[in-house]
Amino acid sequence: MKRLAILGCALAVFGANAAAQSFTPEQIKKGAGIFAQNCSPCHGAHMADPQGGFDLRKFPHDEKNRFVTSVTQGKNSMPPWGDLFKPDDIDALWAYVMAGEKQ
Amino acid sequence: MKRIALATTLFLLAPAPAYCQSLEDLKNDGKNTDNVLTYGMGYHQNRYSKLKEINKQTVKRLVPVWNVSLASNYGEQGQPFVYDGVMYVTNAEYTVAIDIATGKQKWRTPVGWDPATPRVVCCGVSNKGPAIYNGKLFRGTLDAYIVALDMQTGKQIWKEKAADWKEGFSITGAPQIANGVLITGMSGAEFGTRLFLDGWDPDTGKHLWRHYTVPAPGEKGYDTWPPGDAYLRGGGSTWITGSYDPDLDLLYWGTGNAGPWNPATRPGDNLYTASLLAIKPKTGEMVWYYQFTPNDMYDWDANWEMILGDLNVNGQKRKVVMQLNRNGFLYVLDRVNGKLLAANPFEKVNWATHVDMATGRPIESEISKKVRAGEKIELWPSQWGAKNWPHAAFNPETGLLYANTMHNMRYYKFVPVGEYKPGQRYQGIENTPAPRQDDLAIGHVDAIDPMTGKQKWRAPTPNIPNYSAMLATAGGLLFTGKQTGEFVALDIDNGKTLWQFQTGSGINAQPITFTHKGRQYVAIQSGLGGVNQARMAEDLKNVPRGGSVWAFALMPE
Repeated sequence: MKRLAILGCALAVFGANAAAQSFTPEQIKKGAGIFAQNCSPCHGAHMADPQGGFDLRKFPHDEKNRFVTSVTQGKNSMPPWGDLFKPDDIDALWAYVMAGEKQ
Repeated sequence: MKRIALATTLFLLAPAPAYCQSLEDLKNDGKNTDNVLTYGMGYHQNRYSKLKEINKQTVKRLVPVWNVSLASNYGEQGQPFVYDGVMYVTNAEYTVAIDIATGKQKWRTPVGWDPATPRVVCCGVSNKGPAIYNGKLFRGTLDAYIVALDMQTGKQIWKEKAADWKEGFSITGAPQIANGVLITGMSGAEFGTRLFLDGWDPDTGKHLWRHYTVPAPGEKGYDTWPPGDAYLRGGGSTWITGSYDPDLDLLYWGTGNAGPWNPATRPGDNLYTASLLAIKPKTGEMVWYYQFTPNDMYDWDANWEMILGDLNVNGQKRKVVMQLNRNGFLYVLDRVNGKLLAANPFEKVNWATHVDMATGRPIESEISKKVRAGEKIELWPSQWGAKNWPHAAFNPETGLLYANTMHNMRYYKFVPVGEYKPGQRYQGIENTPAPRQDDLAIGHVDAIDPMTGKQKWRAPTPNIPNYSAMLATAGGLLFTGKQTGEFVALDIDNGKTLWQFQTGSGINAQPITFTHKGRQYVAIQSGLGGVNQARMAEDLKNVPRGGSVWAFALMPE
């Protein structure tokens, strides 16, 4: 009974972050592919070695607009990608960044 | 009447010497110390000056004379050029002319490019310098154009497109002038491209020739590629300026990694990637080649400076070309015919056991067999190389090379390359950090014997390797810079720091020395940037951005 309560609690916390954001495995996989090819050189393989790029593991979960704007228009030394990635691609990237490397 | 005619002729000729650098001037660069007309302070790229007013005894009086902002935050990697009392400086955003006597900017010409261009620039938005000839300054642009400017006014004379950046091409390197031809290289081997050298008419910008570093079907060397379109994605960039021997009329230009990095789709030697090409500048014809790393899979660019010198080899004086290769071996070749004379490791190497002197080929180790089989390996030197682009100096008096080297290991593993998409990464590699493996510093300033690869001395740079080129002088000094901002003078006999000055931003550029009105100057661009800035962002977080150029001279006694 105790174990169930803890589990329920954990689910509730997880749910608060993910409530508005549910990602399909296909979306995450697509985002992982785009990330590995285009983003990992600066943000690190699997986001784990960000080098000079922003540490995407720390990107706030409730700031998708900021993410989309940065990817589309560029930010600081990051160039704009808006003419290369379609909205679907950027959604997939967001899915990967939010949920792609969760153990 | 005769006298008038003569006077007119003189009048017509007179302005010419003031703003015309002849081929003879370029060939003799270094003899007239008032000028710096070539990349590497001489066609031989020795980065050595016979000047010695600034020396071990006097360097303590070295002080800044002026500093000029370059108004850019992208990072400075350039080598300044000097002609007739004016310094010419480039970065990714501007070309700048500075009056040496006063430190005042004479003109500044912007370089425009689409803000998305850095997508195809793998390793830092920058520019390594111009070429100058016959009153014109030539430079490449980030978006792969070649531009000629009037040296007196900075006004554009011509601009030609070398390639389309949206396909993955970019230019950060400096052009070269050889035998009256402007020669330019190209970056892009991380983006599924096939690279080349271009020859241009300096007067008009007319395209004269293109020499692809990866052969097409039917061309010599194509049989080292699998059938299909692998050669179109084969890499072989030309992003560092080649050297030139005017007597042999040969350009020595290094080529970059094979593409994609994952070699699964390109069995074979993959000529002429990771190679040295000896090229006729008039036509682009290749006279001979030497491939350092057949079937390269570690980004073993062979682009670094090709240092020309005369060495005593087994009692015989030989005209040689030397390179501290990214792959960890120091190569010496006869530059007349490309014969290999020496190939010894100058840092820790585990991807190959040695270079077979009979065949000239490296013998891959068990480590390399493992990575080819799909395993994750510990790679020495790391993919960044035992030495990266920061150029070494050669002192013809001592016969030693002086270089900023690296002592790093990284984990390395191949992953599927994925579909080719123009202008997007095409590599197939996972390159991840590893904990420090030993107590050695991760970088050194090294004095190295070219024939043995052995160090005469090492001066450690403990936590951040230097990413500045080296300058050696007859004053017994080495000048180089740190990414933490210090411009330093070292004792050429032991590497001891004799003098340093904080330039206000990181140094990842190329020092020069010259004379103005009889006084010796040293100059360096400062402005944190380039690939190591990205790699070591955490260590360099308190080094501010901001490009400028500094000039130093001795304070009068």
